Amino acid sequence: MTDIFGQTLNLNYVLLLPEIVLLIFSMLVIGIDAFKRQLNISGNVPVGLALAGLVVALTLSILQVNMDEDFARLIQVDSFTSFFRILFIAITLVLIVGSHEYIEKSVSHVGEFYGLLLLATVGAMLMASARELLTAYLAIELLSFSLYIAVSLARSDRRSGEASLKYVLLGGVASASLLYGLSMIYGVTGATQYHEISAVLSAGDTGLTTPLLLGLVLIIVGLGFKASAVPFHMWTPDAYEGAPIPVTAFLSATSKAATIALFLRWFGGPLLPIASDWQFILSGVAVATMVVGNLVALQQVNIKRLLAYSSIGQMGYMLMAIVAVGSGFGSDATSAVLVHLAGYIITNLLVFISVTHFFNQTGQEEITSFKGLAQSNPYLALMITAGLFSLAGMPLLVGFFTKFILFQAVVSAGHLGLVTVAVVASTVSLYYYLMVVRQMYLYEPEDGTEQWRLSLTGYVTTLALFVSLVVFGLWGTPLYAAADAAAAGMF
Amino acid sequence: MDSPGIVIGFYMMAGLVLGSGTLVFLARNLLHALAFLVISFLGMAGLFLTLSADFIAMAQILIYAGSISVLMVFAVMLTPLASRDNGNTIYVLPGLLAAGGIATFVGFLALDTSWSGPATDFTTTIDLIGNLLLGKYVLAFEIASVLLLFALIGAIMLVQISPSDPEEGEGR
Repeated sequence: MTDIFGQTLNLNYVLLLPEIVLLIFSMLVIGIDAFKRQLNISGNVPVGLALAGLVVALTLSILQVNMDEDFARLIQVDSFTSFFRILFIAITLVLIVGSHEYIEKSVSHVGEFYGLLLLATVGAMLMASARELLTAYLAIELLSFSLYIAVSLARSDRRSGEASLKYVLLGGVASASLLYGLSMIYGVTGATQYHEISAVLSAGDTGLTTPLLLGLVLIIVGLGFKASAVPFHMWTPDAYEGAPIPVTAFLSATSKAATIALFLRWFGGPLLPIASDWQFILSGVAVATMVVGNLVALQQVNIKRLLAYSSIGQMGYMLMAIVAVGSGFGSDATSAVLVHLAGYIITNLLVFISVTHFFNQTGQEEITSFKGLAQSNPYLALMITAGLFSLAGMPLLVGFFTKFILFQAVVSAGHLGLVTVAVVASTVSLYYYLMVVRQMYLYEPEDGTEQWRLSLTGYVTTLALFVSLVVFGLWGTPLYAAADAAAAGMF
Repeated sequence: MDSPGIVIGFYMMAGLVLGSGTLVFLARNLLHALAFLVISFLGMAGLFLTLSADFIAMAQILIYAGSISVLMVFAVMLTPLASRDNGNTIYVLPGLLAAGGIATFVGFLALDTSWSGPATDFTTTIDLIGNLLLGKYVLAFEIASVLLLFALIGAIMLVQISPSDPEEGEGR
């Protein structure tokens, strides 16, 4: 098929099958949930449907791993896309299996909640695969809208509505800024296709540096908000604290990873020719993010807020690697970011799912409420400790390996100063991770040493995540190979 | 674009937008402010017309001047506890300074730059937009439709009192 300008369009819908399947299942879940009383079906049907959709979409994505084809010049299904598709579907799958008890107990509108999670996954997948600015923008909105709603669904928690309102209002401002920035880029280059923008910009001096710079600043503001980079991070702790814990985990995993994917696509693609214009801005943002994220985390008393600031700090490390992408080490730095992202997500999911089960049992989320967990549930204490140590970058765990590769890539791109800040910040982070560990191991439990267990799915997911934490920490080759292949598809 | 009629039209519409925009925050009564906002929306539609963007102009009138402003009027009328008074705030001066600064900066930017863009003139844009939306950009169109569907579901969920929520009490 050709469009009205005579360009041939490849409308091969097979390329979009994973997204289409997820969308269909997402609507099925919501539709069936709406009529569950009339149809007289059990409460397990929505979660079963959601899981079925995810498994089918995962299979389809794995089948498309070796593709390199575009859909109507809007979506590029290449190895980079496949990496993120599999990552995002796996995150949602693990989250739903690991925390379905919490969702059924503490989330209002359970069916819609699963539908929204699937929809957010689709948005994230489209963000990673878009090859055109407008599609990417719509994908961002798809992810953000579903999360705005999902954040507000914590049952009988007044902070949830407040969190959602803050997230919506600030998110709207960030989206407007992003869109304005994109219009500047379009105005300068006259193109929305990534490769056309890149061609115009690398053709040399367009004589349009001021609007281009304004566009860059606005794009960094908009994306920085989604990545909760300092100084656009103000919404993060409140939204994390008020949201249901699985949504918090989703925000810290999928939403952040999708934003990093977009950063890589934009700053490693169309905006690469003007790297000297944005590198210094992003360096500043990265340093501020690492320092503020890790320092403010020191004084948190709520575990969700602590993890919020910790994820802000982690974003700083990844933004630092995007600066390295601009220095001509694109492929190395990109694969380093992807490795670190995968390791960070495995670790973060382990911590969040453990915290979810802790909350299921105790209904508390203060750090002091973890007192004596090593006695009342040694298994869970071990899981949380392993996760926190991996976040801090302790050897033998995946966090050390991925951080090492990330820092090494940034050093070899010639940004020694940035890495120095990162190493110091990372050392500081050990302190607040240890605060939680100290509560669990050095104190007696407050209300007796009664032992309790996780549910079966809780054991399965945490154990699977723990095993991959250790295995990838000792033998990271498969992770590295996958990230390398994904990065090779982009450059 | 450069015929005198269009230029005069542009300045009239620009004056209308700026004038009614100023009156929106000068008006003390919220309903008066809303009325000026509608006029400002209409002026904006006129600006789009001078740019030969006839579809956008119609959409602006239908969506902004029509439905969104009616929605805002309903919101003001149906919240009896909210004050109708568009009171003073300490942010007037910083707000004016920031707005002026941004306007000056963007204004210089716009005048200083020779923007690139499609050079062809379109007599009408509607069939072009239709062709693009259902041809080249069909995926973007579909994403937008899903987005709107879920925004609708989300809005209903947010205002609904959950029947199983013990804290909100009244089951339905």
